[in-house]
Amino acid sequence: MTTDHVDPDQRSDAERLPSRQDHYGASIGHDEEVVVIVGSGAGGGTLAYELTAKGIACVVLEAGPYLMPEDYENDEWASFQQMAWLDARTASGPYRVARDFPNLPAWVVKAVGGSTTHWSGATPRFRAYELKTRTYYGDIDGANILDWPITLEELAPYYDRAERAIGSTHRHGRPPLPANNNYKVFANGAEQVGYRFYATGPYGTNAEPYDGRPASIQDGFNFQGDKSTAKWSTAVREVPRALRTGRCDLRPGSQAVQITHDARGRANAVLYVDKDGSLHRQAAAVVCVAGNSIETPRLLLMSASALHPDGLANSSGQVGRNYMRHLTGSVYARFDKPVHMYRGETMAGIIADEARQDTSRGFVGGYYLETLSLGPAFLAAFVDPGEWGPGFTEVMDAYENTAGLWIVGEDLPQETNRVTLNASVKDQWGLPAADVWFQDHPNDVAMRAHGFSRADMLYEAVGALGVHHTPPYPATHNLGTCRLSERAEDGVADRWGQAHDVPGLFISDGSQMTSGAAANPTLTIVALAIRQAEYIADRLAKGAG
Amino acid sequence: MPDPTTSSVETDGRRTLVRLLRAAYPHPRFPDGPYERTADAILAQAADSLWHRLVLTEGLATLDARAAAAGEQADFADLDDEAALALLRGVEDAEFFVLIRGVAVVSLYDDAEVHRLLGYEGPSFEQGGYLHRGFDDLDWLPTPRIEEYDGPDQLVEVAPDDEPTTAPTQA
Repeated sequence: MTTDHVDPDQRSDAERLPSRQDHYGASIGHDEEVVVIVGSGAGGGTLAYELTAKGIACVVLEAGPYLMPEDYENDEWASFQQMAWLDARTASGPYRVARDFPNLPAWVVKAVGGSTTHWSGATPRFRAYELKTRTYYGDIDGANILDWPITLEELAPYYDRAERAIGSTHRHGRPPLPANNNYKVFANGAEQVGYRFYATGPYGTNAEPYDGRPASIQDGFNFQGDKSTAKWSTAVREVPRALRTGRCDLRPGSQAVQITHDARGRANAVLYVDKDGSLHRQAAAVVCVAGNSIETPRLLLMSASALHPDGLANSSGQVGRNYMRHLTGSVYARFDKPVHMYRGETMAGIIADEARQDTSRGFVGGYYLETLSLGPAFLAAFVDPGEWGPGFTEVMDAYENTAGLWIVGEDLPQETNRVTLNASVKDQWGLPAADVWFQDHPNDVAMRAHGFSRADMLYEAVGALGVHHTPPYPATHNLGTCRLSERAEDGVADRWGQAHDVPGLFISDGSQMTSGAAANPTLTIVALAIRQAEYIADRLAKGAG
Repeated sequence: MPDPTTSSVETDGRRTLVRLLRAAYPHPRFPDGPYERTADAILAQAADSLWHRLVLTEGLATLDARAAAAGEQADFADLDDEAALALLRGVEDAEFFVLIRGVAVVSLYDDAEVHRLLGYEGPSFEQGGYLHRGFDDLDWLPTPRIEEYDGPDQLVEVAPDDEPTTAPTQA
């Protein structure tokens, strides 16, 4: 037992309870017209820091509690109960998640820090062609493909800043993380099958102390929050820094329920319920919505008005549509010797060789292979949901000798893949729950089959006794439901994320992604938020908002 | 017909349930303890729900009836692994069995003894993580490169045949 990392905090349990304060930081009046940010994750947390650092007052409405690193649990189910978004939601459509997890379309976090609390840490950038999918992929039957109104060139300086904020390994002088056991299997397999572009990153966890946070202790609980704080999240970096400026009023336990606008159509307030169910109105000069790609369109749809009968900012009809969840699949391979895949950084292993556009493979777009590990509790629940019997227990019995990886690639936007309000299911406040309807595009199916076959080859090359293909989990990457577009009729927001239809309303999370690319989305959400903060600050300075 | 007004499911039923769990989730290495704890978790859930109690009582009784109908000279709990598994395959979609599996797949594998048996060490932060406890102790493969590739090959982001040389296709 070492004591270096044991929390010396002597506060009582009651003092350590989540959401122990109604608000943190500055006290901003409900009628003060400030920047109101809905959500405190990769998008909202970054905006809060970037704007308050520039002297701009912000109210942050966060639906979940303010969990501290010492609150995080080294226990999969306990952590899930602690931080997962478990409010009423439904999954529908032909995809398997709707059958296996009908009330859990997504595995995202409801806490200060949002899903950066449980993100794994992989930080690849989007590639240039991935922002121009209409140009490169053309018109594909059943898909709703559009070029972004932004180029990679424009984003590049913000990617630099995002990588420095996150402390991405392999970038800007940050050293790589060491090889853990799961990576040793993964990288040796990669080399054997001729892959070249593999490494332990780029990855948003410190290999050495950086930015006031320690180096990784390889504890293996990335998905449960990181008690050591070696992993970047807005809960440990941007939100505390925003609070220290004295210009941020963070209100946990605050569920936004409606955005209102003035007679001229400009966003002017957010209505929200606190944890006791009382309704409040916070006046706003600017509203930034960053509730992740299910809650963000839900909030706009719940904000329908006489001016916006189909939902706020929805003249295009695209709010809630083009929902993307990344093309995913997992492969668990059994060996005759121990691996102990759970020891160490969960996703510190990335192969980029398949992240490219090469239609000779039978599909457009590309994918990454990334190391992945689940504990026995989650592996049992997710490896093949509903399965039982000797075939299932063979997989579980091999746990100690198992290596795992995740396939994560671009899924195509489809108008019918969609977040809507479910009129027959209500949340705890009596508000309509979000329904997520999803169906794979044939391109997604072809890419997944390719990914599985490559993963099989990789593991067989280093002696796998057997491999198990795991279907997509409840989505951790939720994207595209309020997409950016050059023209107002094609999407919800413009090149800065400002709603085409509603001045003063910004989309600030992964919802704005016009296409999903192959890369894990967090880095790009942060880069877009830094860029958007500059734009908002500039507009406010000019008195335009 | 079983009587759910009595506590029969918690006594006779528990034995059947433990046998069922062993047949459905066979791990030769596991002692009875994890299966018994899982059976108790299922019974606790049934105790909280009248419907679950009705479904479970009837379902477990059905297993004995099916064993008898199949000409077995024994209750379900006395069947060998193969016979028990075959019988369970026949009730795979029955509500009681779906209910049991829903609890079992969480409860059985969220058990400290099971974690040890499977070779999983569980919470690690309080012990300093795995940094000095084997995160990189795999020795049956060479230690791979951890830096990004810096050799002569270039990743070709767009294959030559996929360059949009002509005007993009319009809808």
